[in-house]
Amino acid sequence: MKLLKLEFFKCRRRKILLVCAAVLAAELLWIVSTFLRQDAEDLRQGWMLLLYNLAMVDAIIMPISVATIASRNCELEHKGTTLKLLETMAAPGALYAAKLAWGALVLAALLMVRWALFMGVGILWQFPGEVPWGRFGIFTLISWAVSMMVYALQQGLSLRFANQAVALVCGISGSFLGILSLLFPPALTRCVPWGYYGLLSLVGMNWDPDTRFTWFYWEWPVPTDLVLLCLWAALFLVVGRALFVRKEV
Amino acid sequence: MNIIETHDLCKQYGNALRVAHLDLNVPEGSVYGFLGPNGAGKSTTLKMILGLVRPTAGDIRVLGKKMDGGSRLAVLRQVGSLIESPSYYGHLTGEENLRIVQTLRGVPEKNIREVLQIVRLDGQRGKRVAHYSLGMKQRLGLAAALLGYPKLLILDEPTNGLDPAGIQEMRELICSLPERFGMTVVVSSHLLSEIDQMADHVAIIREGELVFQDTLEALHGRSRHHLALRTTNNAVARAILQEKSVPCQEEGGYLILPILSDEIAAQLTRLLGARNLGVIRLEERQKSLEDIFLELTGKAASL
Repeated sequence: MKLLKLEFFKCRRRKILLVCAAVLAAELLWIVSTFLRQDAEDLRQGWMLLLYNLAMVDAIIMPISVATIASRNCELEHKGTTLKLLETMAAPGALYAAKLAWGALVLAALLMVRWALFMGVGILWQFPGEVPWGRFGIFTLISWAVSMMVYALQQGLSLRFANQAVALVCGISGSFLGILSLLFPPALTRCVPWGYYGLLSLVGMNWDPDTRFTWFYWEWPVPTDLVLLCLWAALFLVVGRALFVRKEV
Repeated sequence: MNIIETHDLCKQYGNALRVAHLDLNVPEGSVYGFLGPNGAGKSTTLKMILGLVRPTAGDIRVLGKKMDGGSRLAVLRQVGSLIESPSYYGHLTGEENLRIVQTLRGVPEKNIREVLQIVRLDGQRGKRVAHYSLGMKQRLGLAAALLGYPKLLILDEPTNGLDPAGIQEMRELICSLPERFGMTVVVSSHLLSEIDQMADHVAIIREGELVFQDTLEALHGRSRHHLALRTTNNAVARAILQEKSVPCQEEGGYLILPILSDEIAAQLTRLLGARNLGVIRLEERQKSLEDIFLELTGKAASL
């Protein structure tokens, strides 16, 4: 707990709130501009359209956002060569866990605010049908879980390499691969960690090439994909932690 | 009692043995100077003592306890350190930086003000460390090391980057610590003159090997007096000295002799004159600490 509190203390003036606000603003802008282009017929499935688009926007925006947040938190240890001081007072494994817990809380807060924001958008837009509080909640939980898997990868990279360009290039590549993987067959998407934003979407889409009519339907993630998500997360966590703990400072 | 003891301590990187079979003994209450040229293995040794670098072989005991995974952090609660450059968060103020150390060490909050006063940074405590000069950062690093008033303080090149006034100030502060707070201080440097002014015990390391370890007094004891003689014909003079059983060796155009009594020295010059040799120079010399350091390390006194 002490180390976790210190992570928040250390991130003073690191503009983490600004980064989170920028993520929300980008997503809001994207979604609102998408809805403004839809006609009344499309908006009959407004809630599904919202969740479907949010999953896509996540695949593009979240990888680079998560990379930025992880980098903001880890870079400060490299900049001031603080690990050689911290590791005389705390075990490296505990420091790694505190940073991961900090990331988990920041991402949870970010996604909960997003949940409230987009529920508000749907209600104000007066999407027909019952407000899907529960499904939106589950979608937020899935977004958080996928973001944590990506965060584990990014934290590992940001702590391993003093030059944060390595982690940020990985984040940018993740954003590109995240959206590109939505076009892959599911078996291949499962091999792309950033593809899980789209893979675990709660809304499916059908498009009829003859009538050129698109419709959405509710769906649940395949359990295998949830297991694979956990395996990816475990892999990034174990490798990242081992590299950090073994590193001599 | 020794506060630090290492036995057969080694560190290998690739095929290079950077620290070789080091047996250090740091007496409690001393200012222990750890001297060696750049790249001799000083920082690696100090990092191994702190558990930041894993030894390839050997044992380390600090405050009587063996340093291993289980006991390391418990032992280090009584150890303050400043290794290489100071550690700091540039976006936080000096006081905020110390608050992090204070929280991790679990020491009273009042210690922050006290150590800031000790290192004379109390006027700058609200300023972001990124805006500090190198000397101020160095003093902040020392404040962080002092925060828990540890029994043992390990300072690696603490005067690096300081101006002459800062060096003098840091030196005085280090010298005062054993008396003021009962601390043992291990201070590393590549400057012999610095260690000469601070330490009472000295270890000299060369290419990872310990070449000297004793009191500073013992190191000074090695600076023997001798006579240097130069004549119009040193070869003949040498033969005469050998004839009279006076040991000598030629070095840089001089014959180096042991210290002789005034009477014998006078007899010798008369004898040389009688054999038609002119005495050009007869000087009394003393080996400086730099000469000893050079002898021990094979390098210049400051590299």
